[in-house]
Amino acid sequence: MVTIRRSVKYPESTDSYRIGQRPRVRVSIADYGVGNLHSIRKALELAGARPVVESNMRNLLDADAIVFPGVGAFDAAMSKLDRYRDIILDRLMAGTPCLGICIGAQILFEGSDEGDMPGIGLIKGRVVRLSAKRVPHMGWNEVRSDDGMFAGVPSPYFYFAHSYCGRPEEDVTMGITDYEGEFPSVFRKKNVLGVQFHPEKSSASGATFLRNYVKYLEEKL
Amino acid sequence: MLTKRIIPCLDVTDGKVVKGVKFENLEGIGYPPELAQAYEKQGADEIVFLDITASVDARKTLLESVERTAEKLFVPLTVGGGIRSVEDMRTALKAGADKVSVNSAAIASPELIGECAREFGKQCVVVAIDAKREGDKWMVHTHGGRRRTELDAVSWAGEAEDRGAGELLLTSMDADGTAEGYDIELTAAVADAVSIPVIASGGCGGPEHMYEVFQQTGASAALAASIFHYGTWTVAQVKEYLRDRGVVVR
Repeated sequence: MVTIRRSVKYPESTDSYRIGQRPRVRVSIADYGVGNLHSIRKALELAGARPVVESNMRNLLDADAIVFPGVGAFDAAMSKLDRYRDIILDRLMAGTPCLGICIGAQILFEGSDEGDMPGIGLIKGRVVRLSAKRVPHMGWNEVRSDDGMFAGVPSPYFYFAHSYCGRPEEDVTMGITDYEGEFPSVFRKKNVLGVQFHPEKSSASGATFLRNYVKYLEEKL
Repeated sequence: MLTKRIIPCLDVTDGKVVKGVKFENLEGIGYPPELAQAYEKQGADEIVFLDITASVDARKTLLESVERTAEKLFVPLTVGGGIRSVEDMRTALKAGADKVSVNSAAIASPELIGECAREFGKQCVVVAIDAKREGDKWMVHTHGGRRRTELDAVSWAGEAEDRGAGELLLTSMDADGTAEGYDIELTAAVADAVSIPVIASGGCGGPEHMYEVFQQTGASAALAASIFHYGTWTVAQVKEYLRDRGVVVR
């Protein structure tokens, strides 16, 4: 593996940085124009990636990987992405790695009960309202998954904040969470990973998850 | 299974965390970024940052302080104080808040709740309710507890939910600062009336009070300030206490 050596120090150096090595993986974070992208950018940086917040959706596709962040409502996100649905879908099908978080995972489906707009449509199925008594499902809950992204997480608890969840009609469920009944909380379709929780808000477990993800991206490059 | 959340609260004025007794006699404790990080390390599930002078002095939330706090925090941060519009909320979210709480402004113009929910998703919108007992009900107060409204706390909670609130931050003004326990009746009444999560606040003097509020009410989270600020209890100790008694915590 070729690494580019540089003598400059990177800020916020943590154990995730191999000293002197420049973060290689360029990750575009889609800016739908609503909400806090600060957390996911910061968390990806700490995980060893080079994140860029991208408000021009066409430029999203130039990066090594795309992150659809977990902010806003379904239609708010899709109204920003709608024009580019076909090229985004093409690119994801062609193998560009993508991580969808919360609403960013939901938009990978064909549509949602939360909104009127169609989703990206990569995953067959719809996003439906949670059936639990108290919604939003807000707080820390257990994710049961054998996916490699969870290797070494210090605790199985991750932070959730959502009222809807994806119900895939194909075999893409990689993790499950129980909130008055089980719902799928991790999806994987080849190069595309979707999580209903917020790794960027999940303290040490989220940091490990994102570090695993960035390592996976590095290996793919 | 969804765990019960333990939430340290930072009441902030002039960039410093203070602890007031019954909304008065404010005493300086420390700075928000350091305290927030320390609480995350202890196992805090979330941090609430309230600019307690914002409404009173008609100032905007102390965005700089929010930014510095969010910078190194990897658990959710709720910011409140002086939020009056969708744009105020956007600014707070851009500064690093994950959720924003509205109080006085939501009462002055209730449609604000729905506007924020449509724009940012309801999981971002926390409606804070400060309630004070009057006979057999509780009346909502605004402006840091200084101004009484004609709103009944339980029915206002229901309206806030209908309008798109994702969560309620319910503070008992009677209990606040007493360290004698949460207002169980108020918390139970509100939690039963709504189907969104309710954060119990005001009166926590130790983990026994959190146990009590989780056992006797439908509260999803318990907020506390002084027991953490003064180091009487760490978040980890509180959680151990609760876990030993069968409360599911992270």
